[in-house]
Amino acid sequence: MINEILQAIIFPGVLFTIAMGFLFDWLDRKTAARMQGRIGPKITGPSGILQPLADFLKLLFKEEIIPSHADRVIFLFAPALYFLAPLLSMLFIPIIGPTPLAGFEFDLLAILFLLAYAAFVVTILSYSSASSFTTIATGRLVLQYVSYEIPLVLAIITAALYSRSLSVEGIVASQSTLWNILVMPFAFGVYIIALMAELEKPPFDIPSAKTEIVAGWLTEFSGRALSFLKLTKEVGYVFGSALAVSLFLGGGLGPEVAAVPPPVLYFVYFMVKLLLVGFLIFVLKTALARIKIGQATELFWKILTPVSLAQIAFVLVLIQGGVLVAT
Amino acid sequence: MLERLATWSRKRSPWVFHINASSCNGCDIELVASLTPLYDIERFGAILVPSPRHADVLIVTGTVNAQTKDRLRRVYEQVPEPKHVIALGACAAAGGVFKGCYNVGQGVQDVIPVDMFIPGCPPRPEAIMYGVLKLLGEVK
Repeated sequence: MINEILQAIIFPGVLFTIAMGFLFDWLDRKTAARMQGRIGPKITGPSGILQPLADFLKLLFKEEIIPSHADRVIFLFAPALYFLAPLLSMLFIPIIGPTPLAGFEFDLLAILFLLAYAAFVVTILSYSSASSFTTIATGRLVLQYVSYEIPLVLAIITAALYSRSLSVEGIVASQSTLWNILVMPFAFGVYIIALMAELEKPPFDIPSAKTEIVAGWLTEFSGRALSFLKLTKEVGYVFGSALAVSLFLGGGLGPEVAAVPPPVLYFVYFMVKLLLVGFLIFVLKTALARIKIGQATELFWKILTPVSLAQIAFVLVLIQGGVLVAT
Repeated sequence: MLERLATWSRKRSPWVFHINASSCNGCDIELVASLTPLYDIERFGAILVPSPRHADVLIVTGTVNAQTKDRLRRVYEQVPEPKHVIALGACAAAGGVFKGCYNVGQGVQDVIPVDMFIPGCPPRPEAIMYGVLKLLGEVK
């Protein structure tokens, strides 16, 4: 019992997830800086690795301003509710062994629910601050959400259909011989693009467009609320990449090495794949420029939804034809 | 202990909000130049934030005239404590070449308290970075 509580709180639970969020933020800034010919964070810790921690602490120690028109209750409590979503979802991902901390038979549905919950919380959060910039941002946020959600869910469902399981654990276990990405490369691509829209990374940083609407829905937040909202975005980054690894890249599965105990090996494989997926997103987000909200909606509805439907049809044909059935 | 942690994080993460109080754009270009690959002020944790509510350091450029006075004060009040103000360039320091005009005062310090003046018309990016770092050295 004590052991499980410690696992949930420290490793591979909450504290580990937050530390990974900081690491992802640092890697993101370093990669972007390198690609632009800069150095990036340098003096805070070795190579600036403590920079996200310094940012987080500084915001915690700052004054928190509440706009006079804002809905005080939602404005103060919604950042905490928003923070819960990726943190809880992370407990369904197997990190140090084939069994996740809090997995159950239909946990993929719980993850889909938490994605919708996060979008809902961020919408009321954005509306609660009641300024003209956040109102525009909310409209864009909701439109972007209804755009990317369908392809995102279709891509996740493709993996579930092929592996004949609605739990992340079952989907990972079914990939011991063949990774899902080899069967459904387009579903993986659609998932990554939709994930970037969910995380509001360029080219989909439309709801937080710096040059158009100040800081988007983050405009009115300061101090503690801002630090947690930023942390949530970073943890969401980790969770999105971890889900991609579990659904398409075989989780922590890989060739066995005799000298290394299985949990350590599982963890190492998982981390390597996680960082690779993260790196793919860092490079894409630095290389691409923002598109318009209409273009984003067209991309998702007119191109990516048919692509993911075609991918589902392909997978169904494979299953019916008895070719390449997952174990 | 907590105090030391707070000081450490404040020294390492100065987020800058830039307000153009009717500047000629000279200082603004030099400020943006300090973000470019040659100088890269992000090495010290400084980034340019889009909203004054996220900022720690307010950098004001330009001669503050009757039009921008109220707006400057309003933006200053939106920055959460602890906050610092840097007046960048000759105009922000004392009015510059526009000093004596009917609508120009004695610079930024007439309107809001200033922690650091960086003179020059415009100041070089090295001078801007030196000023920011010197200000950070005095952050308590």
